[in-house]
Amino acid sequence: METILVIFGGQSAEHDVSIITAINSIITPLILTKKYKVLPLYISKTGQWYCDKALSNIELFTSGKIDNFLIKSKPVSLKFNNGLEIELNRLHTKRLKVDLVFPAMHGTFGEDGDLMGLLEMSGVAYVGCGVSASAIAMNKVLAKQLALGCNIPVSKFLAFKTSDFKLKLTKVIKNINSRLKFPIFVKPAHLGSSIGISRVKNNDELKNALELAFYYDDLVIVEEEVANLIEVTLPIIGNDKLTPALLERPMLHQADFFDFETKYLKGGKKGAKTGSKGSQGYSEVPAKLEKSLYDAAQSLGLKVYQEFGLSGIARIDMLVDSKTNKVYFNEINPMPGSLYSHNFQKAGISNVLLVEKLLQLARERFKARSSVVTTFKTNYLKQF
Amino acid sequence: MIKALLSLYSFKFPTVITYMLQASEYNMGAYFKWLGRTKNFNQVIKRKSLVKTQVSDLVLLGLRLGIIGQIILGIVIIILGLKNIFIGGQYYGLAIIIAYPLVWPYLIVLLLTIAKVFFINPRDIKLATVVDDAFRNYSGEVVAVMGSYGKTSMKEILLTVLKEGKTVRATPDNKNVVSSQAKFVKTLTGKEDIVLVEYGEGKPGDITKFAKITYPKFAVITGLAPVHQDYYKDLNQQAEDLLSISKFVSSDNIFINNDSELTKKYMNNIEARSFNQKKVLDWKISDVKISIHGIKFIMSKPGRKLSLEAKIIGRHQVTFVAFAVAFADLLGLSDEQIVKGVANIHAYEHRMQPYQLAEAFIIDDTYNGNIEGIQAGLALLKELDFKRKIYVTPGLVDQGRDSAKIHFRIGEMIADTNPDIVVLMKNSVTKYIVNGLESKKFNKELRIEGNPLEFYLNLKLFVAKGDLVLMQNDWPDNYS
Repeated sequence: METILVIFGGQSAEHDVSIITAINSIITPLILTKKYKVLPLYISKTGQWYCDKALSNIELFTSGKIDNFLIKSKPVSLKFNNGLEIELNRLHTKRLKVDLVFPAMHGTFGEDGDLMGLLEMSGVAYVGCGVSASAIAMNKVLAKQLALGCNIPVSKFLAFKTSDFKLKLTKVIKNINSRLKFPIFVKPAHLGSSIGISRVKNNDELKNALELAFYYDDLVIVEEEVANLIEVTLPIIGNDKLTPALLERPMLHQADFFDFETKYLKGGKKGAKTGSKGSQGYSEVPAKLEKSLYDAAQSLGLKVYQEFGLSGIARIDMLVDSKTNKVYFNEINPMPGSLYSHNFQKAGISNVLLVEKLLQLARERFKARSSVVTTFKTNYLKQF
Repeated sequence: MIKALLSLYSFKFPTVITYMLQASEYNMGAYFKWLGRTKNFNQVIKRKSLVKTQVSDLVLLGLRLGIIGQIILGIVIIILGLKNIFIGGQYYGLAIIIAYPLVWPYLIVLLLTIAKVFFINPRDIKLATVVDDAFRNYSGEVVAVMGSYGKTSMKEILLTVLKEGKTVRATPDNKNVVSSQAKFVKTLTGKEDIVLVEYGEGKPGDITKFAKITYPKFAVITGLAPVHQDYYKDLNQQAEDLLSISKFVSSDNIFINNDSELTKKYMNNIEARSFNQKKVLDWKISDVKISIHGIKFIMSKPGRKLSLEAKIIGRHQVTFVAFAVAFADLLGLSDEQIVKGVANIHAYEHRMQPYQLAEAFIIDDTYNGNIEGIQAGLALLKELDFKRKIYVTPGLVDQGRDSAKIHFRIGEMIADTNPDIVVLMKNSVTKYIVNGLESKKFNKELRIEGNPLEFYLNLKLFVAKGDLVLMQNDWPDNYS
């Protein structure tokens, strides 16, 4: 029986979202298959790593009992011994060999390539995008620059570093005013789940928006809003052969956008008091667009997936100008919240089938990478 | 082993024993068999729970008081032993305390038997008299609805159609024992044109017992299939029980559904009017169309043609609906009333009841409990057009000596239907179904689920758009 390690939590603003993704959409379906030994590995907000069956239970987190649990538990260690092993520090130290890792982390350290680097080094198969694809996908500036290089249309944008904001604020504002038209979006370049994003209509709001974005990141992207906007997103799975799910349209007013609260705490509904469905609560699946526009958006999503070298799973966000019917690439989410299983379900792929397909894609990618030669004999050292 | 031993002394133990008695319908043979099989009493209540009734409350109270009494007795004897009043009392006392789980599961049966002889049997006789008094000079016409399967569906279909033109009452849900009928007759006003009474057949003589006190004018037999085989010697005896209705109803007024081969074989030795999927009384059935949303068909006879549509699924339902149409016609309902009545028919809870879950269609047929129902369900699964078909069943209960043979046949029937996934709830008959599947070289996915509750609760994770899941039968814990 294969041992699957599901890593979630982490020192990221999307820590809590990761818990839901991991337990509801990955661990539970994996356990239900009865084909795998599933090990939940939880990274606390302080960075300790814990591995215990009890961490598969969502109630441990929703009830707040997790804090007490962590006090009583001992963190685990990782061992790299021709693959990855988890060392459980209990009465007797026990090592568990991991066959495959299913990262379920969102945002910093988890979705941005950092964790993938660790997994590559340890020589273990893992689900999802590789190091460079993840790093580019999670850097909105790099992603847009790469898109431009691949002739993929993007909205007008500018990028600024913390040093620009601290030392040359007036110049930054002037630059934005001269090159972009309001309304604009100000976003931290590396964060997902709409954290730290502001929609800015005029100069008065700009400084606060920049301040907020730089609070979360050292790189900020400022983008011109696409007129007559329809936002759409396309979840895709695959390595070389791609399977798109359905084009999804989050239902919101043009004047609004999904901030973290709207997206996750209000079930995706503007003005809703509470929500329990996370980001899947309020959207149109499939998006009701004219067939030609739907096809155009789907083609662009698939092109982005291929050009960026994404693998396993990713979600491509796009912006549509409903008057000109032009589709722009917006950003990539290499680990969509809850795997966007609601969308795959409507596309005919159950949650259980989805995780199994992702495991298979991870095995295939690992096998392909393992066949690549990375070392060879040289006479280099002999010259010293 | 230790967990199993500790379960005997769990606080839940009396509740578990009461639950086992209730789930066995206070049938001592089934209860003792279950008791003998059970190793860990904490693992008994998995899918259902104890339903609070007067009897279960009394049994639970009796068990708790009895156990407490035995523990107190043990403690007293220990104390007497420690004070040297009763030499060795500490050992005897301890033995008495430890022994309570071995005593009360049996002692409670003795108490129940006494209660049955002195209270329950006399009460049933009294209740039968209540039913008899209500029906003996009743002005309305009583229709007896009986059979090994589909009697509740048939009764509900008849009720829905007939009430378009008549004042009709029917015994509620699947309540088909004397006590429920006694409650029901108290609600009758005496102004009803028709009363539909469902007869439960659980052991030989049941049909005669019901007929004697309900005075039926009509009888409809939905079909014969092996059920309650722990009580009936064989299918012949079961058929005889159903056919005993001929002693109370004239042959012109007995209607037998002979769609099934078993019914044709075992129920042909009385004068009666048979009906089936092609012909009901003098009506012909044609143009049958089946979908997940319902059935459509045409009924015709010289000079008349009815186009009918009902929100009930399965080809086998056509026979039931068609009978209701013909019977309504016989009782004088107009064509308009009949068509309207049929349009009002909908799926009944847990009987071929379709619903949507996570974009998939689920057909809940968990109240089905016989091989004819399995056959009908599988035929529907085969007939409907879906991307992926999933079949879920634990098998059948009460199949007696032929259980292995019947379940092997079920396996064969499933393999012939060729669903994409077969999910079997693990129990004592699983191996026979698997053998049947293997004999037909079934090569699609087979899942054997040890934890049905977990499966049902997480069903939404297994399915997606384009899936059709048929869930047949709800295997109670006591047959595991």
